[in-house]
Amino acid sequence: MDLMKGTIKVAALLVLLLPQWGQASGGAALPVQEWGFKGIFGKFDEAALKRGAKVAVGVCMNCHSLKYIKFDQMRAFGLPEAEIEAMAKDSGRSRKDRMLSVMDAVSAKETYGIEPPDLSLMTKARKGYEDYAYGILTGYLTDQESADIKKAMEDGKLSETERMEVAHVLHMDPRHEDKLKEAITKLEGGGNFNKYFPGHFLAMPQPMQDGAVEYGDGTKASLEQLSRDVVTFLAWAAEPTAEQRKGMGIGVMIYLLVFTAMLYAVKRRIWAKVH
Amino acid sequence: MFKSIMEWVDARLPVSDLIKSQATEYPTPKNLNYWWNFGSLALFVLIVMLATGLFLAMHYKPDANLAFDSVEHIMRDVNFGWLLRYLHANGATFFFVCVYIHILRGMYYGSHRSPREILWWFGVIIFFALMGTAFMGYVLPWGQMSYWGAAVITNLVSAIPVVGEELVVWILGGFSVGDPTLNRFFVLHFLFPFVVFGLVILHMWALHAVHSNNPDGIDVHEGKDTLPFHPYYTIKDLYGVGVFLMVYLAFVFFAPNFFLEPDNYIPADPMKTPAHIVPEWYFLPFYAILRSIDFLGSFSKLAGVVAMGGAIAILFILPWLDRSPVRSFRYRPLSRQLFWVFVLDCFVLGWVGYNPADATLFDGALPLIVIGRTATAVYFSYFVGLWLVTVLKIEKPKPLPKSI
Repeated sequence: MDLMKGTIKVAALLVLLLPQWGQASGGAALPVQEWGFKGIFGKFDEAALKRGAKVAVGVCMNCHSLKYIKFDQMRAFGLPEAEIEAMAKDSGRSRKDRMLSVMDAVSAKETYGIEPPDLSLMTKARKGYEDYAYGILTGYLTDQESADIKKAMEDGKLSETERMEVAHVLHMDPRHEDKLKEAITKLEGGGNFNKYFPGHFLAMPQPMQDGAVEYGDGTKASLEQLSRDVVTFLAWAAEPTAEQRKGMGIGVMIYLLVFTAMLYAVKRRIWAKVH
Repeated sequence: MFKSIMEWVDARLPVSDLIKSQATEYPTPKNLNYWWNFGSLALFVLIVMLATGLFLAMHYKPDANLAFDSVEHIMRDVNFGWLLRYLHANGATFFFVCVYIHILRGMYYGSHRSPREILWWFGVIIFFALMGTAFMGYVLPWGQMSYWGAAVITNLVSAIPVVGEELVVWILGGFSVGDPTLNRFFVLHFLFPFVVFGLVILHMWALHAVHSNNPDGIDVHEGKDTLPFHPYYTIKDLYGVGVFLMVYLAFVFFAPNFFLEPDNYIPADPMKTPAHIVPEWYFLPFYAILRSIDFLGSFSKLAGVVAMGGAIAILFILPWLDRSPVRSFRYRPLSRQLFWVFVLDCFVLGWVGYNPADATLFDGALPLIVIGRTATAVYFSYFVGLWLVTVLKIEKPKPLPKSI
């Protein structure tokens, strides 16, 4: 097994040599969240999905579409038909329609400069996946943070400590003073700053704040909660078959384990005469 | 009943004889190790790809306006469409895993050496055909990486002197990647696997003419050293398929997007270039070689393309570069060390290819392109080095066993 020994050595060496397989994204490191629906045994929390659907329809769909999902599909996580009908009606559509934005693409482009991207695949289409979506939703500056920056810039220049502070608030590199100043100028000009967006400035103004949606189940609608719920919903929308896939996978793996073990036993038996 | 039918058939076409001589009783060296499983595994993946691809093609629409939506239609609306697509997308990855191990196994144990050169050539041709097939297949979902990957790779053709520019237009069916490109890539992606299948038959014909090499790399005596293929290698290959499926399907069911770029879930947009265009992992080492030639001014592009093609084409002459009287590296300590440097180098090239061209290490002190150039030099040095240590008889092979 000489080739095997070498393979193990090379594999070990690779693990040591190439620790930074990943690459920089241009934004700050994303806030990594625990998502209960991820992983082999992960399942979607139906209550979170229901809340998230409410956020998606009430907030996101004012500008964005989820064109691969029909309102009616939300019955899959137990949303009652009457509630779905009401949600669809609010967007001027019926239960059998696709979940298209209230705003048409042309006027959205006039207002924001770009066509708001469809959200059906958002949690699959960006590096960082769910964490990215959550990062964007929670990555706008709070009033306190905006005030802090304004205060630091009061005298028109950045002292050493102020620069460290501002860099910390903006999730930027304190060594690049010119970039920091550029960002502050843009911020003061009304730019939409986000800690986690690559390049930091994006067309979307902060979409929601605490209490943007009133939850029916008594959950407190903090920005973090709203964001978690809507990202959960978007993850479901990105692949409604994900739970079916994982469930089937577990069965397939158990079957393969037993079947392969049997094949190995037969192989040993047949080769016993040779060895 | 069955016996009499077979007698009737055999009198007209000797099917039983063929099965007996080429399959069930086909003499196979008794000392083949598990690295020899990857040939049959590659064939297994080819069949999986043909089967899943056939059904995907029934639902896919090769139209620039419909392609992306039709893939999502497969994922969401077609019964088990998600399974078909994930089997097919991850199948490409595991096809290359099998093929790369298969090729490296051949290089290590000297399976390309006389009298197996033609067998080896068919293998290299299959490898080329697979790369073309995989590239065109990756374009079909019509996401951002599909589109821009196609734009970058087809643009390489323009490096060909005199006719290059016009050739690109002819290949694309327009002045940029567009609907005609997608349509023809779909047709060719459907056709190529059948060409590959034909090449595989030639590959196996050549194999059965000269018979398998073995880990000792010495000629075997039929009977004493060999076993009938069935049941010995049918069961060993089947067991290999079982283990392989556990790895392959673990990705399909639990991490189906692991090898996919997130950008490819964004519909193709000719007006918006992604920040970083990166090919599929199995092309990365060759992509790094392409990009590492950047110091020849206006010749860089052409030289890069030649180097990239040459990195694979050099395999054609490998049987003559190696002049050692011994085939297997098991008995060639120096060649063995060169081999491992080469394998490691391929990974380094892959890592360089994965990162942006202008990336640096240690805060800008070490541009990645320097590593890329060095690794490219090392890649080609393997072939020169192998020739040198064998032609100058620098390497003293260990004594070979009399028989396996």
